[in-house]
Amino acid sequence: MSAVLAIAAKDLRQRLRDRSAWVIVFLAPVLISALMALAFNDNDEFRANLGIVDLDRGPAATGLTQVLRSPELQGTVHVRSYDAESAARRAVDTGEVHAAIVVPEGFSQSLHGGGTEPVRVLDSVDYGLQAQLARAITESYVAQVNADRLSVATAVAAGAPRTDIPELAARAALLRLPEEVRTQGLPDDPLKVISYFGPSMGMFFVLFTIGFGARGYFIEQQQGTLDRIAAAPVGRGALLLGKSVSTFVYSLAGLATVTFVSWLAFDASWADPLGVAALSVAMAVCVVCLTALVISLVRTEQQAQGLASIVVFALVLLGGNFVFASGTTPAIRTLALFTPNGWALRGFTDLGTGVRGWDAVGAPLLGIAAFSLLVVAVTALLLRLRRTP
Amino acid sequence: MNAPVRQPDTTRLVLECAHLARRFGQRTAVDDVSLSIAPGETYGLLGPNGAGKTTTIRMVCGLLSPDAGTVHVAGRPVSTSAGPAKQLIGFVPQDVALYPDLSVRENLRFFGRLYRLPRRRLERRVDEVLDLIDLGTRARDRVDSLSGGMRRRLNIGAGLVHSPTLLVLDEPTVGVDPQSRHAILESVTRFGEEGMAVLYTTHYMEEAERLCDRVGIIDRGRLVAEGTPRELVALVAERDRVRLTAVGGLGAYTDACRRLARVEGAARGGDHGDLVELVVKDARSLLPELLDLAHALDVDIRSVEIDEPDLEAVFLHLTGTALRE
Amino acid sequence: MTALAVTSATLARVLRDRTALFFMVLLPVAIIVVIGVTVSGFDQFRVGLVTASQAGPVARELTAELEEAPGLRTRTYATADDARTALRRAELDAVVVVPNGLDADVRAGRSVAVQVLVEPSGSAGHGAVSSVSAVVAEHAARLQAARFAGEETGSSFDDALTLARGAERAASPITVRSETVNGQSDFLPLGYSYSTPTMLVLFVFINALAGGAAIVQTRRTGVYARALAAPVAARTLVFGETVAYLLLAVLQSLLIVGIGALVFDVKWGDPLAAGALVTVWALVGTGAGVLAGALFRTPEQVHAIGPALGIGMGMLGGCMWPLAVVPDWLRSAGHAVPHAWAVDAWTTLLSRDGDLAAIVRDLGVLAAFATALITLASLSLRRRLTTGPGA
Repeated sequence: MSAVLAIAAKDLRQRLRDRSAWVIVFLAPVLISALMALAFNDNDEFRANLGIVDLDRGPAATGLTQVLRSPELQGTVHVRSYDAESAARRAVDTGEVHAAIVVPEGFSQSLHGGGTEPVRVLDSVDYGLQAQLARAITESYVAQVNADRLSVATAVAAGAPRTDIPELAARAALLRLPEEVRTQGLPDDPLKVISYFGPSMGMFFVLFTIGFGARGYFIEQQQGTLDRIAAAPVGRGALLLGKSVSTFVYSLAGLATVTFVSWLAFDASWADPLGVAALSVAMAVCVVCLTALVISLVRTEQQAQGLASIVVFALVLLGGNFVFASGTTPAIRTLALFTPNGWALRGFTDLGTGVRGWDAVGAPLLGIAAFSLLVVAVTALLLRLRRTP
Repeated sequence: MNAPVRQPDTTRLVLECAHLARRFGQRTAVDDVSLSIAPGETYGLLGPNGAGKTTTIRMVCGLLSPDAGTVHVAGRPVSTSAGPAKQLIGFVPQDVALYPDLSVRENLRFFGRLYRLPRRRLERRVDEVLDLIDLGTRARDRVDSLSGGMRRRLNIGAGLVHSPTLLVLDEPTVGVDPQSRHAILESVTRFGEEGMAVLYTTHYMEEAERLCDRVGIIDRGRLVAEGTPRELVALVAERDRVRLTAVGGLGAYTDACRRLARVEGAARGGDHGDLVELVVKDARSLLPELLDLAHALDVDIRSVEIDEPDLEAVFLHLTGTALRE
Repeated sequence: MTALAVTSATLARVLRDRTALFFMVLLPVAIIVVIGVTVSGFDQFRVGLVTASQAGPVARELTAELEEAPGLRTRTYATADDARTALRRAELDAVVVVPNGLDADVRAGRSVAVQVLVEPSGSAGHGAVSSVSAVVAEHAARLQAARFAGEETGSSFDDALTLARGAERAASPITVRSETVNGQSDFLPLGYSYSTPTMLVLFVFINALAGGAAIVQTRRTGVYARALAAPVAARTLVFGETVAYLLLAVLQSLLIVGIGALVFDVKWGDPLAAGALVTVWALVGTGAGVLAGALFRTPEQVHAIGPALGIGMGMLGGCMWPLAVVPDWLRSAGHAVPHAWAVDAWTTLLSRDGDLAAIVRDLGVLAAFATALITLASLSLRRRLTTGPGA
């Protein structure tokens, strides 16, 4: 037993001496997460800078402007008024506003009957969503009027005499749309970018330690120190166990540092620190299993480095470490569940949105455990096949 | 291959190898090797490259499992799994096997811990070994900052930390500068004097002659002779060793010499391939015949040396080939 | 010429290395696919739909209209809980819960509230709500019309609803029409046309850095020392190596360009300009790689720091996400790395039909980077080779 600890302690000492190890597991993820946090300043997620040109100068146009400035839309929509359409066009072209609404002359009148030009939304190819929003707000604004008109037209189509149209219109004007939208806010915390990307980048770089551990084994072999250890009265598994312990400690330290720094310096939040710890421990165990797998598959240091890199990138790509999970397709999200880091990220996402305890980390822990067990089984099989010549 | 091993009082012998054999695929590396080492004895395993020395060593140290035969150290069986026997063996591999990014002391401490030395005793032993290998002043320096010779000394020191009963050194002086080599040979002599049993493999005859109480000559996996250096030389007692320096078609000449009746062994050698070594009975009477043969084959003999036989001659006599290619 | 001998030796070694091939071809393509599939649909709000268990025709019609709305990307969820979870995980901007008994309520003349769940502090949610409101309003208009017509003329609700659908044009509604003013995008197009050029920039750089590891290794094995013992000037060695890595970078670039065009239908724009950009970027990468080969002490250092550096610079330069979404100061800061200029140039070529003249400034900046890197690299490597103890 003490041999196992001696080997683990030696390994850790070597890694602590290695500056590149520090960079990749502690420095790089922290810096990159910080960069991401800076880039995605959470609260400015979606903004629509809209311009409005009031060619109508009537109450309806003013009403529309007021809707744009209403309290519900305050965080989202910023309005600028332009005197002329040409000014608004220029503004959209240069990007000063994302889109502009041009209220035509006669708009207020048209609300009381009579045709009119359409309201135009000037948009830019790059800001489809904002233009969409401008259209939607305008459409909602005129919805009641359009509904009233439709009601009259339908009544006529159903057989009401055309001569009754003015009375119909008057009665229709008293109607109110039978369906409306009611918003309700979710009680949980919104997911902060750093709460996702901190652990994501931490995991990405911690997975690199698979390469360190695997290469280290072959370096010992090449160096002859593996023989020295074999010549000593230590159990056969002691070497592998000792290296596993050191890999575990090292990976866990890396993950702990990243999550801690994300929390302390970049304001990441997770509902349940115990859950964060559990996920980190599970990932560290998984790294150990993957290291053993790589060692059992290759024969030289270079091969170890190569295979480890491939494994890391494959897992990270599938698991969604590089993209905000919300942005991917459901297909990719399902694929991510074939990777341990994909599960872990799901756990961190749930923790980051206020879910605690087993609800948040239960399924991810099971997913990571299942993956690790599979890896261990394959490794054991490979070692058995190797041993029987 | 498993002849019944007679069991004398093996607890008195430090090492007992019985009928060791090992193949790698089609190649037989070690074929029925038996040897034993008494306490305090320095035993040399002498043979050319590829003779099976390292394979035998690895089986002795429990790094390789034999296909047949047994190894016992102080009566305890040695196997590839951990055993109490390994506690008694100190292994010094041929190439330096140390951690370059750890310090001298850290290396010694680590290897000592593998042998379960309690902390205080470990520290004491590390200090003792540092004195022994004269690296006390460099104790805190990283191994990769040491010179080659120092690393060799540390390489040996790492095998000594746990005060082994049997020290196994695999060709410790290959590629080593003369100064360090001298130091190593001195140390081994000292270990022997202090009562440690030593198993020493080499292909340098001078070392075997100088250091070893007994020598086993191994060639192509078989132990062809065993005994004190003197006993072995006596095997070729009435032989002479003839060394010719010559120019010409020496390959053909050597083959031709070998076919002569009174030549027991012939081999080419020398740093420039200009040496022919022969083991013959009564060199002086054979000399004219050798010179005639040279003349016939258009070989120009530059010098002739006639010597008392040594271990190299023994080897040549026993195997027909040279100790050093 | 000895430099060419060095070049071919290095090339042979790399091309035989399977891991190198993985990183040069397979991995970039895989990432291109993943990111290409992801980076799309920036012009639609993501809405989850929860439909009623027993939905009548009116409810189903509302659902269908939400699904077909051009501004919304909808996905139906079996239960409200699933949809809420998706919303919580930021996979959606809003969740629309179509109420049970919609049909019954509407026919009975009652008002219906369609619940929309959002993240209160997320602003995309409110945008989505507005879009959903517009669709609901249009649907509600028909219901209102049907009820009204029913009251006025006594026709059945369903008949009136059918009439209402047909009457929309006759009612001459006030319409909202879109007019695109700025047709030239400032960003790379979406999907694969985004990921392929950005990953080209990122990977050529990262793989060139990895090439530096090979140079470090060669230094350590003393092969260079051997070569220098022969009558080979250090300058020649450095030149040979640089050419080798430049060729590898260009090869990789051509592979990605080819695959992008053939498989992902990426339009790379003006061939002359694209060619110039590919070449200049390959030079930048090569300079960085050879510099890494000169400066780092062990291959492990390169493998450790290389990806981190490459990814960090890629992020700063807009390879992982468009710089348009970051704060202005960060966008400016990002132009301290060459990646940003390369991405800008590709944007001009792909989104604005630029030609060589249009990217002259970007090319100039990149050429300056390349020159500085290669000069520094040559000097450092030469110094390492000629003064280091066994380098």
